[in-house]
Amino acid sequence: MNLKNTSYFRTATVAVALIIAAFIVMVIIGVVTHSPVDVLIESLLSEEIQFAIRLSIITSVISTLLCILVAVPVAYALTRYSFPGKTVMNMLMDIPMALPPLVAGVGLLLFFGVSPVGKSLAAAGLAFVFTPLGIIMAQFFVNLPYMLRVTRSTFQGVNPRYEHVAKTLGCTDAQAFWRVTLPMSWNGLLAGSVITWSKGIGEFGAGLMVAGATRMKTETLPLSLYLNMSTGKLEFAIAAATILIMISVISLYAFERYGGATHVY
Amino acid sequence: MLTIDSVSKSLGEFSLSNVSLSVEDGEYFIVLGPTGAGKTILLETIAGIYTPDAGRILLNGRDITDVPAKDRNIGMVYQDYMLFPHLTVEANIGFGLKSRRADPAFIRGKVKESADLLNIGHLLQRYPGTLSGGEQQRTAIARALVMEPEALLLDEPLSALDVKTRESLRAELARIHEATGTTIVHITHNFEEVFDLADRVAIMRGGDVVQVGTPEEIFRRPNSDFVAGFVGVENLLRGTGSSDGTVAVGDLRIRAENGLTGPVSVAIRPEEITLSKVPLPENGRNVFSGRIDSVRPNGGLVRVSVDAGVPFRVTLTRQGFEETGIASGDAVYLAFRPSAAHIYPSGEGEEA
Repeated sequence: MNLKNTSYFRTATVAVALIIAAFIVMVIIGVVTHSPVDVLIESLLSEEIQFAIRLSIITSVISTLLCILVAVPVAYALTRYSFPGKTVMNMLMDIPMALPPLVAGVGLLLFFGVSPVGKSLAAAGLAFVFTPLGIIMAQFFVNLPYMLRVTRSTFQGVNPRYEHVAKTLGCTDAQAFWRVTLPMSWNGLLAGSVITWSKGIGEFGAGLMVAGATRMKTETLPLSLYLNMSTGKLEFAIAAATILIMISVISLYAFERYGGATHVY
Repeated sequence: MLTIDSVSKSLGEFSLSNVSLSVEDGEYFIVLGPTGAGKTILLETIAGIYTPDAGRILLNGRDITDVPAKDRNIGMVYQDYMLFPHLTVEANIGFGLKSRRADPAFIRGKVKESADLLNIGHLLQRYPGTLSGGEQQRTAIARALVMEPEALLLDEPLSALDVKTRESLRAELARIHEATGTTIVHITHNFEEVFDLADRVAIMRGGDVVQVGTPEEIFRRPNSDFVAGFVGVENLLRGTGSSDGTVAVGDLRIRAENGLTGPVSVAIRPEEITLSKVPLPENGRNVFSGRIDSVRPNGGLVRVSVDAGVPFRVTLTRQGFEETGIASGDAVYLAFRPSAAHIYPSGEGEEA
C-alpha cells in the first residue's frame, strides 16, 4: 500500500469498522463456545430444550402464516387503491413496530383478558392468556408490521401497468393479482416471510406478558433462555441461545439472498 | 367504429377535458402530442382501465363506457412492453386465450400463428428478460393481436427502441395493419411516425384535442400556433386579413390559400420558399425582396434567415443552396405560392 495515498481519515473509519466487527464476532463466539461441546449437545437433547424448540417452531410458523395471510391483502389495498383514511391507516399499521414489545404485550393481555371481546373469545374456547395461543397472537401482533412493510414495498415495485395489460387480456382484478402481481412478488414475499419468521422465533417481551413464562407450557426458546438464566441453569440457557443464534444467521442469509435477488420490474 | 364522446377524466396531474374523437373501422389513427398532454390516459380510458368522469365511449355501436376492461376486447401495448417476466414468450402471448379458458391445443396454434406474423416464432421458449427491445415489443404486439381485438391501442410503441429497430418495427406495424385490418389507435410524440403509418392524426395538448385531420392537412394547414410549431412550421407571421384574400404583415401583402378577415396568423413551411439572386417572376406567387441575415448548414440542409421587412426562415437542400450562389448579406428575392401560406385566426385556434 502506498502510504501517500492513505489518509488518516480512511485509516480511522476502517479501524472503527474492524473493531466493531471483531466485537460482534467475539460476543457471538463467546456464547456458542461457553459450554463444552458434550454439555451443549446434552442440553440440546434435554426434554425441556426439545420442548422449547418444538413450541418455538410451531408458534412462529403459525404466526408467520397469519402475518402473510393478513399482510398480502392489506399491503395490496394500501398500494393499489385509494380510500378514505388510507394515510392514517398506513401509520396505524406501523405502530406495533415502534411500540416496546412489553407494552404491546400489556395491551394484548388487557384485550384478551378483560375486554368483552377477549372474554367472549375465551368463553368460546379461544383462550389467549397464559396459553401457547397467546404466544402466537403476540408474535403476530408484533411482527405484522415487518411483513407488511416488505410486502408493501414489493407490490409497489410491480408496475400497475402489468395488471392493466392483464385486464385487457381478460383478467378480473383478482385474476390479474393471482396470475401476474403475486408471481412477480414471489422473492419479496419469501424474504419478508423469512425475516418475520426469524423475528417470531426471537419474540420475547409481548409473549411474556400475554402467555407468561411457565416451564414446559409456554416456554419458547427466548423464554427458556430467560427462565434458565434466572434459575442459574446456565448450560440450558446457552443451548437456547445457540439455537437462536443459528436461526438468526441462517435467516439473515436467506433474507439477503432473496431480498437481494428481488427483481424490481 | 370507435367513438369517444365528450370524455373527461381527471387523474391528479394528468387529465382529459371533454375529448371527442371518432376512429373509423380499420383506420390507423395516430394521436400526437407532447409529454403530459393526456395521451396515455386517453388510451387507458378507452381500454377500460379508468372510467371516465363524464362522457361516453362507443365501440361498433355498443356503449362500453361501463364495461370492464376484461370484456371490451380492446388490446393494449405499452412503450415498456410490460411482458410478464415470469412467463415464456409463448405463455405471454397465450395469456389472454388462457383467460378465456380456450383449449390448450387451440391456444398453441393461435400463439404460433401470431408469433409467425411478428417473426418471433423462434423465440417462444425464451423469457422476456433475454430478449432485445425490438423482440420484446413484437411479443407484446403478438400478445394483444392473438385476441383478435376490435381495436388495438399502442402507447408510444416505438419510443423505447433504438433508431434502426424503430424503423424496422414501424414498417412492421404498417404491414400488420394491412394484413389484419385491425383498427389501431397509436399515440406518440414523434411526428415522423405519422407520415408512414397514419390514415388520420389528432393533435393533443393539455388534455384537449386541438386538431384532427389527415397527415397532409395537419402538416400543411395547422389551425393554431401550437400545431404549427409542433409540425415544424417555422414561419408564423401575425397579420390582418382583408376581404380581397390578402394578409397585411408589416409592409407586405401576402396572398394566402384561404381568406379570413381580422387578426390572423400566417403559417409557411420553411421548405416551401424559393430564394434567388435575380428577380423572380410572380406567376401568381408571393414575391418579396430582402437581405440574407444568416446561413446555417445543417447536415444535408441549409437554413437561411431572410429579412424582407419581416423575418423569414427558409430551408434549402445543400445542392439547391449552392445553385443559388448566395451568401450572407446578399440582396435576394424570395417567392412562395399562395397555397403554401395557410392562415388561421390569431390566438389559439380552438375548433378541431
